[in-house]
Amino acid sequence: MAHPLPSVPETRSNATFDALMWALSRPGLIRTLPEPGMDGLIDALIDSECRVHTDDETLARQIARTGAEAVPIAAADHVFLTAFPDAAPLDHLSLGSDLYPETGATLILPARIGSGSRLRLTGPGVDGEESLRIDGLPANFWTRRRALIRYPMGFELFLIDGTSVVGLPRSTEVELL
Amino acid sequence: MSLKSLTRDWEPMSYGFLDASAKREIRRKMLKAIAVPGCQMPYASREVPMARGWGTGGLQISCTLLNPKTKVKVIDQGADDSVNAASIRRFLARVSGAPTTLDTLEADLIQSRHRIPEEKLRDNQVLVLQVPNPEPLRPVQPNMSIARQMHADADYGRMWLQLYEQILRAGRVMQGASYPSLVNGRFVMTPSPIPRWDVPKLHMAKHLTILSAGREKRLHAVPPFTRVEPLVFDDVPYRVEEHGALTCTRSGARGFFMNEIPQDDGSSAFEISDSEYGVKTLRQRDGEAVTFGDTWYKHGEMAQ
Repeated sequence: MAHPLPSVPETRSNATFDALMWALSRPGLIRTLPEPGMDGLIDALIDSECRVHTDDETLARQIARTGAEAVPIAAADHVFLTAFPDAAPLDHLSLGSDLYPETGATLILPARIGSGSRLRLTGPGVDGEESLRIDGLPANFWTRRRALIRYPMGFELFLIDGTSVVGLPRSTEVELL
Repeated sequence: MSLKSLTRDWEPMSYGFLDASAKREIRRKMLKAIAVPGCQMPYASREVPMARGWGTGGLQISCTLLNPKTKVKVIDQGADDSVNAASIRRFLARVSGAPTTLDTLEADLIQSRHRIPEEKLRDNQVLVLQVPNPEPLRPVQPNMSIARQMHADADYGRMWLQLYEQILRAGRVMQGASYPSLVNGRFVMTPSPIPRWDVPKLHMAKHLTILSAGREKRLHAVPPFTRVEPLVFDDVPYRVEEHGALTCTRSGARGFFMNEIPQDDGSSAFEISDSEYGVKTLRQRDGEAVTFGDTWYKHGEMAQ
């Protein structure tokens, strides 16, 4: 019996989400996106129901095509940053509330995975503990993250390095070694 | 920018039945549900060609996750061959071209109504549970705005009171299915109406569990390696159904969750609830080479 075939965008979004879902389910384990960069994430997640902030013009054009509203960082539910020299933008991120934890933002950042400062991860999705090397983030990033997140309030973090993605949900404890 | 660049190519129907915007919304909510284990996330719950309350929540999650390579298994109270399970399996295969299987070990995606298979799930398998009532606080607080506030405050005193009253009245906890469980030490969730037998299988499991209620428009998740602790008092231990010593009358499988079948003389016969495990046991008895996976329960006892 004939069955529908997935279109190219559908296949890409499906594979992108699969990587994101498992990245967030198993923090610290590196998953592979079907295509490098943040474009695939926008196609898989963003549409006219979202409020998005980005600092990159090319991404902004792609986001505008999805119908999402471009807003300042404090009002955004998805934040795509391509340059992240200091951790100050973290202070403006939406963290949701105890009543509505799902309104906490999703932050997508570029990083170098596999080199730089060593992190020890614990929490749901981590079998015992996981260690991970991340470079390219400001020095006080992890202390700011820890200070801001008061579970179940918080934000989700996806670090993108080419086709590699690492997810850090708000439930993960990150210890800088 | 032209009109062509703003639109997608024409398709006779959306792949996997749901349209792209429905999938994106479910994806966003699934990510948040994974990030806050056990917390109920509202979602729009689109129409699917099935009545609400028959597994539409699970169906929407499956439709979002499916691709032509995903091997799908669908079970209903443990059985692969019940009408509900067979219909959902056929629907998923028709709208996505995904291969189907009955074997827990082969499946990538398992949609289930009220059972978790007896064989351990791997760290690349997704279990989608259908949920009729996602709110564990509903029996003690019918107002869902107040229930939301109670979740925000981690105010679960009434859940304990409910259990205490059951012990006082009946001498034991009477909650048979959907046993309220504390996830990651913070949110009390209902594990969907799985028997008490299945709740320990969620604790520090390797697989990802997504629980979705289509009628109630909420979903929640239990990521791998997450604590799931049934609410119990220190001096009244958690007890699963006493099925450890029962033998399946059809297959001879022993030490698993059984369906009780009343007999004419007033006695009961028992049949293994996980139908495919029973079929495997029968095949092995007939001399076929069958691969059994590692099971959560061994000789009727949950392995520590």
